Amino acid sequence: MNTPASTTASTGTPPIDSGVLLDINSIGISFGGLKAVQDFSLQLPAAGLFGLIGPNGAGKTTIFNLLTGVYEPDSGEIHLASRRLFNRQPHEITAAGIARTFQNIRLFPDLSVLDNVRLAGQLHNQQGLLSTLLRTRGYRREEQLLQEKAFNLLEIFELQDRAHELASSLSYGHQRKLEIVRALATNPQVLLLDEPAAGLNPQEKKLLAQSIQQIRDRFQVAVLLIEHDMPLVMEICENIIVLDHGNTICRGTPREVQNDERVIAAYLGSGLTDEESSPAA
Amino acid sequence: MAKAPNSAQIWTSKTNAAGSASFSDRDSGFVRNTLAGLMPFAVGIAMASLLHFLLPGMVGLYYSRIVTDIGIAIIMAVSLNIVNGMTGQFSIGHAGFMTLGGYMAAFTSYYGSMCLWGNTEIHGGFLGTGEWLFVVSCIVGGLLAAGAGYVVGLPSLRLRGDYLAIVTLGFGEIIRVILQQTGKVIESAEALKTGGLSQMIPPPVGGALGFGGVPKYTNLFWVFTILTVTLVIAYRLKRSSFGRGMISVREDEIAAQAMGVNIARQKVLAFVIAAFFAGIAGGLFAHERGVILSPKDAGFQRSFDYVIMTVLGGRGSITGVMLAAGLLTALPEFLREFEQYRLIVYALLLIFMMLVRPQGLLGIHEIWDLWPRRRTTLPPTASLMHSSTMPSQESKR
Amino acid sequence: MSDFVQTLITALAIGSLYALIALGYTMVYGILKFINFAHSDIVVLGAWSSYTLAVRILPWLGLDPHNPATVPPFWVAAVVMLAAMVLCGVVGFAIERLAYRRLRRAPRLNVLITAIGVSLLLQNVGQLNFVFGASPQKMPALLPSWELASIAFGEGESARRVVIGLIDVVIFSLATTLMLMMQYLVFHTKLGVAMRAVSFNTDNAALMGIPVDRVVSFTFVLGSVLAAAAGFLYVMKYPSMNQPAHAVWVLLGLKAFVAAVIGGIGNVRGAVLGGFVIAFVEQFGAFYISSNYRDVYVFALLIVILLVKPSGLLGSPVREKV
Repeated sequence: MNTPASTTASTGTPPIDSGVLLDINSIGISFGGLKAVQDFSLQLPAAGLFGLIGPNGAGKTTIFNLLTGVYEPDSGEIHLASRRLFNRQPHEITAAGIARTFQNIRLFPDLSVLDNVRLAGQLHNQQGLLSTLLRTRGYRREEQLLQEKAFNLLEIFELQDRAHELASSLSYGHQRKLEIVRALATNPQVLLLDEPAAGLNPQEKKLLAQSIQQIRDRFQVAVLLIEHDMPLVMEICENIIVLDHGNTICRGTPREVQNDERVIAAYLGSGLTDEESSPAA
Repeated sequence: MAKAPNSAQIWTSKTNAAGSASFSDRDSGFVRNTLAGLMPFAVGIAMASLLHFLLPGMVGLYYSRIVTDIGIAIIMAVSLNIVNGMTGQFSIGHAGFMTLGGYMAAFTSYYGSMCLWGNTEIHGGFLGTGEWLFVVSCIVGGLLAAGAGYVVGLPSLRLRGDYLAIVTLGFGEIIRVILQQTGKVIESAEALKTGGLSQMIPPPVGGALGFGGVPKYTNLFWVFTILTVTLVIAYRLKRSSFGRGMISVREDEIAAQAMGVNIARQKVLAFVIAAFFAGIAGGLFAHERGVILSPKDAGFQRSFDYVIMTVLGGRGSITGVMLAAGLLTALPEFLREFEQYRLIVYALLLIFMMLVRPQGLLGIHEIWDLWPRRRTTLPPTASLMHSSTMPSQESKR
Repeated sequence: MSDFVQTLITALAIGSLYALIALGYTMVYGILKFINFAHSDIVVLGAWSSYTLAVRILPWLGLDPHNPATVPPFWVAAVVMLAAMVLCGVVGFAIERLAYRRLRRAPRLNVLITAIGVSLLLQNVGQLNFVFGASPQKMPALLPSWELASIAFGEGESARRVVIGLIDVVIFSLATTLMLMMQYLVFHTKLGVAMRAVSFNTDNAALMGIPVDRVVSFTFVLGSVLAAAAGFLYVMKYPSMNQPAHAVWVLLGLKAFVAAVIGGIGNVRGAVLGGFVIAFVEQFGAFYISSNYRDVYVFALLIVILLVKPSGLLGSPVREKV
């Protein structure tokens, strides 16, 4: 796993390391005249847990959108497990192994909790329309497996009691959890979490931190995390990249990033202490 | 596109270990499963036969005719629901597919009859060769309509809500205009032979005056058999991975894409399936006694009728739409004196529904969700309570 | 050549009518982000109320409404048009207030369905016997059919004349005047600024102290007034009127809506441009290709534009924030 030890943004074209799962190489995008993201690079190893932080509007969610195919980068390349992701539709990228959650929860309100998870899990199903309509044995078996998988997943996260309720009827904390469960149901290699702690109380945040680490270990996924909650990020992330106005201003271990002047300046303009955490949106 | 192997698919192995989440074991024998799959069709055919032979005797021709109309309306409304209700698109040109399919079916049976038997009289009795020609014609009509559904579905990929509505509206109008420019119907088999192929362009289906002389094969049996097929397919579609995919497109396209749903495919598929059934319904309509198929039937006025049925019944509810279709087809017959107020009532109903109960009568539920049930091992349905603050053990109330 | 000029003149007249109607669609869409399906029915209301009024006023002046030779003084036409405009303004206000206001935060599809409901309501109430009735009528001539100019083409036997009638000139100049007034209102007055602010972001405009409800009502009234004028002018040119629920009116409105979309929905200048583009396509297509498919050309153009440049000729693309 190689993560650059330097604290400057990389500009060259580093060779693709075979230990790196998600290799992002100098991607950038502009909207109109505005450079939303510029020259962003990252090597995320398998089972790595990285954090992406920066003030609001820095371009973090835009990077997620670039990684999941919502936008196509103007420059740079993205490789997943040494295969280039280029010109793919979002659903193809999810099938390739990158899953995400959303900053503003995007559950399917009129579907049940179970159906939300089953929907995410079904992208690998092979059975076609005809077998669906004829209810062939192959179709039934696939559905059975899907249902079991979905229930298993819900059990792991203790949501199985709510399986048949509408997603919209869940409490906020549970909805956030379901977002993550749903993304996991797609069987990803890389999990992108967009501000998963937003709106959670300190107790819930603690549990979330544990959960993320357990997810990484148990499901063997690499995690890239956008967060505003500093203690959470500093606690669990192995490596942190700091963004400001679309540019990478610092990268390194939590300790390195905490003490970096540019990071402090970007966030407040004056001193930012370790204990301070900016409330999530 | 093969996925790169994931070294530790732990949660897959967990599935095999955890037997507790396994629900009813359906994997019990090929024959039993096949029978289960075919059962609904058998039941449907049986009921259709009963209706066909018993109903006219019981209630007379007039009411039998109304029941036939109801059957056709349900096919139209349920198929429209696949596009409007499940996928959340807004198609207000559904009658266009119906009329297109109807014309194709009528053309096939009329001229087919002429070629096969030299005339366009009713040929053969119940389930006779004439009726099979009729069934084939309807399917041909459905296929043409499905093709049109594909063509109309493609722009739907680029357009949302209002824009799509306008395009579908325009589609209906275009079909109407094109049908008005068609040639006169060829009256006899001799004229057909002497005329040759050139008289097929433009298709001789009557133009603005309508397509008269179509052999009237539609009867209760066929209407309700086809209705059964439509309902079974609609229901199975809804309760399947495809159905979930379509509903997710309605709920949140961006999230659906992020979860691996090919929204383009779902949208176009919805159009194609819906148009197919509309085309078949059009065939049934064209061959109905007392009906003269005309280009006006492709216009928006007819389309609105079906839109109102889906709005009233509740998008996503098959039984709700069935109820609404039945109600809105039967009532005008009984309230004929108030015909000029009919559309006014519809209009007020529409406005009222949108202000007071926009999800329709049954919303996303089926009629059997209204009764309290214990939690069973059947596939789960959504709970009736939209905003419960406490998690409940019971799935249904 | 003469045919070309004749078609051109017709296209200019019709185009200005489409533009007037399209302005109503585009303003409402700009402010509330939905297609007011009922807008075309306001046009119908304008046309039919003009008829009803004219048929009542003329006998009172001692003139026979059904005799095209006897033409009343000009002020009658002005009165009828203004009255129709006032009526439609009131109706537009009522519709917004009663039906659309409550749905301002509803999903757009719901509002669309409501608009269809309102449209159906207007059409069918209009067809009731005690309102306008369900049979076609002929609009009495309120303007003399003078020929203001005639251009001669060719010599001798094959000489053809192209006539520029008073009615065409009135339509074009009146419509243009109204459009210029609109342009001034939207771009050079405080009210116009308020309208544009609400169309960009309703909530922020409210926070800035703009009375959003009143601006929205005013926009509806404005659109309805223009629609009424268009309806009146339309029956001036084409006196054989179909009954209110007839497809002809819906097509008229639909084409005007297509004009608004082609110009860029929400864009006032675009609506005007779109109106003329549609009219040209329709008239020249009908003349040079086939008049049977008159309606099809317009829709074909719509589909092309929606596939190639969905934001319209003068519109700017909008990205959804993920």
